[in-house]
Amino acid sequence: MTINILDEIKRDYVRDLAMHGGRTDGRAMDAFRPISVEPGVITSAEGSARVKLGKSQVIAGIKLGVGSPFPDRPKEGVLSTNAEFLPLASPSFESGPPSELSIELARVVDRGIRSANAVDIASLLIDEDTEGKSKVWAVYIDLYVLDHDGNLQDAAGLAAMSAILNVQMPKYEDGKLTLEEKTGPLPSQATAVSCTFGKIGNAILVDPSYEEEVSLDARITMATIPGHICACQKTGMGSFKLEEIDSCMQIALKKGDELRALLKQ
Amino acid sequence: MAGKLVVPGEIIAEGSKGGVNAYSEDGKIRSEVIGIVDEQKGRVIPLNGQYIPTAGDWVIGVVQDVKYAGCGVEIKSAYRAFILNKMTRIEFKMGDVVGATIERVDEARNIDLAEPRRLVGGEILVISAVKVPRVIGRANSMINMLITETGSEILVGRNGRIWIKGGKSALAVRAILTIEREAHTQGLTDRITELLKTG
Amino acid sequence: MVGGATTKELIVNGKRLDGRALDELRPIKIEASVLNKADGSAYVEWGKNKVIAGVFGPRECFPRRDVNPYRATLRCRYRMSPFATSDHGRSGPNRRSTELSKVIREAFEGVVLREQFPKTAIDVTVEVLQADGGTRCASLVAVSTALADAGIPMKDLVSAVAVGKINGKLALDLTGVEDNFGDSDIPVAITGRNKEIVLFQMDGVLLPEQISQALKMASAANEHIHALQVDALKLVYESKQAQGGARTGAASEED
Repeated sequence: MTINILDEIKRDYVRDLAMHGGRTDGRAMDAFRPISVEPGVITSAEGSARVKLGKSQVIAGIKLGVGSPFPDRPKEGVLSTNAEFLPLASPSFESGPPSELSIELARVVDRGIRSANAVDIASLLIDEDTEGKSKVWAVYIDLYVLDHDGNLQDAAGLAAMSAILNVQMPKYEDGKLTLEEKTGPLPSQATAVSCTFGKIGNAILVDPSYEEEVSLDARITMATIPGHICACQKTGMGSFKLEEIDSCMQIALKKGDELRALLKQ
Repeated sequence: MAGKLVVPGEIIAEGSKGGVNAYSEDGKIRSEVIGIVDEQKGRVIPLNGQYIPTAGDWVIGVVQDVKYAGCGVEIKSAYRAFILNKMTRIEFKMGDVVGATIERVDEARNIDLAEPRRLVGGEILVISAVKVPRVIGRANSMINMLITETGSEILVGRNGRIWIKGGKSALAVRAILTIEREAHTQGLTDRITELLKTG
Repeated sequence: MVGGATTKELIVNGKRLDGRALDELRPIKIEASVLNKADGSAYVEWGKNKVIAGVFGPRECFPRRDVNPYRATLRCRYRMSPFATSDHGRSGPNRRSTELSKVIREAFEGVVLREQFPKTAIDVTVEVLQADGGTRCASLVAVSTALADAGIPMKDLVSAVAVGKINGKLALDLTGVEDNFGDSDIPVAITGRNKEIVLFQMDGVLLPEQISQALKMASAANEHIHALQVDALKLVYESKQAQGGARTGAASEED
């Protein structure tokens, strides 16, 4: 938790600007930075995508395996989401055990995907066995943060969703997994994407950049599917009013449709 | 102390100027702590909390590290105090119990002590720092009574450490702990007088 | 958990399995100053949840890398005991407890007047002894009470409660079973004086209007919880006051 003195100095400038409706890069308060989505960048993975959100960069890789279901969910596949903040992405990232931030990021991405059935775990049962030897698909989503320039949450969410849509299921027959042979896409019921808001004073801005992120009072991430909210997480020390959450939800639904359009291409 | 008992966030008055342990927001003054409202001074007297070093306070500390320029002293606070060697002729050692006056607290919460003296023998009683004013009493009335009635040497540190030596020290300890426990109640002086006479 | 194929009848004749109405809280008991060594503490029983919170500080901050030159560093550890649920849990932090520790801490970072104590640490530990749904909210209520009990300056008390969706309907304060078989869970923490939302999480699939409605339900219930916290804190000193007179009386008789 080293205090970056330059961040502290920049803070006043960013905050003053935001409270007058401006942003350091000249964006509108409700505008995302330029986004690029490249599915299939990692051919060794069953599904993958690289997302660039401004200068932030995240790669999602999805590997599939065959395993046993959780005892309390005997008919469902296993979904596991993990995030790594690579030391090359920021001077503040260190190698070692997962940080609080990377755990939270992965859990919020996971929450949106799970709530929306963006990976339809209910249809990932392979062999049902009454004696507890059922076989299910295990879906491992790994999020690799390569470059940190703010709002990693939405970049990671978008990369994960793009990778899910990019998955080609391998063949599993007679207890044998053949990764080379593909059988079709991963069952998915909806496309979940997230929209993150930063709050500075009374100003609310979409897709905070790094220098905005360190100047924020609070942040809120809302994952959506068309017409519905499917995950939320407030972070940071500040607070939100009820009405602010209401207006964020409306913007998140609108932005969500724009982001989903990017994933269709 | 007959003031109202309040908790953090509770309104204590209308107005735009907060006092000690009270802040103002949207025309209302609210308490920052659990405490008793002192309406005259527009402040809240806390019922619990850590000692906050203030210039002029006389405190009791323990020497925790000895350096070339002086020594670091733990004063039951989040901030460590310092005795500069040039301020004193006494050579302090690790573990020495020291009584001293806080000369200065700077913005970075560096604390310099002045007029340090070594406290030898006796015992140290630790109470909550917020209760110290009651042990001292109005115009030293309580502490003077304690010293007279017990015949003990008693030095009260603002940081909640009390040094007691000689006399009826067990009675002094009992009286001080009673004051700490009942600090916010009425008729305390009478009860302590009674305790000291009968004890 | 959301997305489960399993369903369960959780509302029968308009009542929930434990007989509560949809907008009814479980019984909540809060006690402040329950520990001796901690600077502040609180114990909360909330339905079958049992949590205890302890606060130390402001105190010297170690390690040095945690020191903030401008304000106190607030550190929070939420932990669930291995015996808190029907299955034996592993002790030590896990991904869930790491996330919850973070969001609980953040709920207080803007409320505690940390700039009064630069360079120090305020350490908060909350232990879930027994769990039955809604432990993060019960923990938050305990932490808020314990911080105030420690005499740490703060703008306000914070209270918390979860609203969920069970059998398609919004319901206040889900139990463990309701959470397991429910469709959505929305824990919300709110400041007492101005209803600012300091913790907000949500899973499941809901319309924006349903979330608004859930936040309003949580806000109303939190007024009740806030009152319980105030009572618990004041009781500590009011009972000491009552005991004070009586104890001295008894002592003089003995002597």
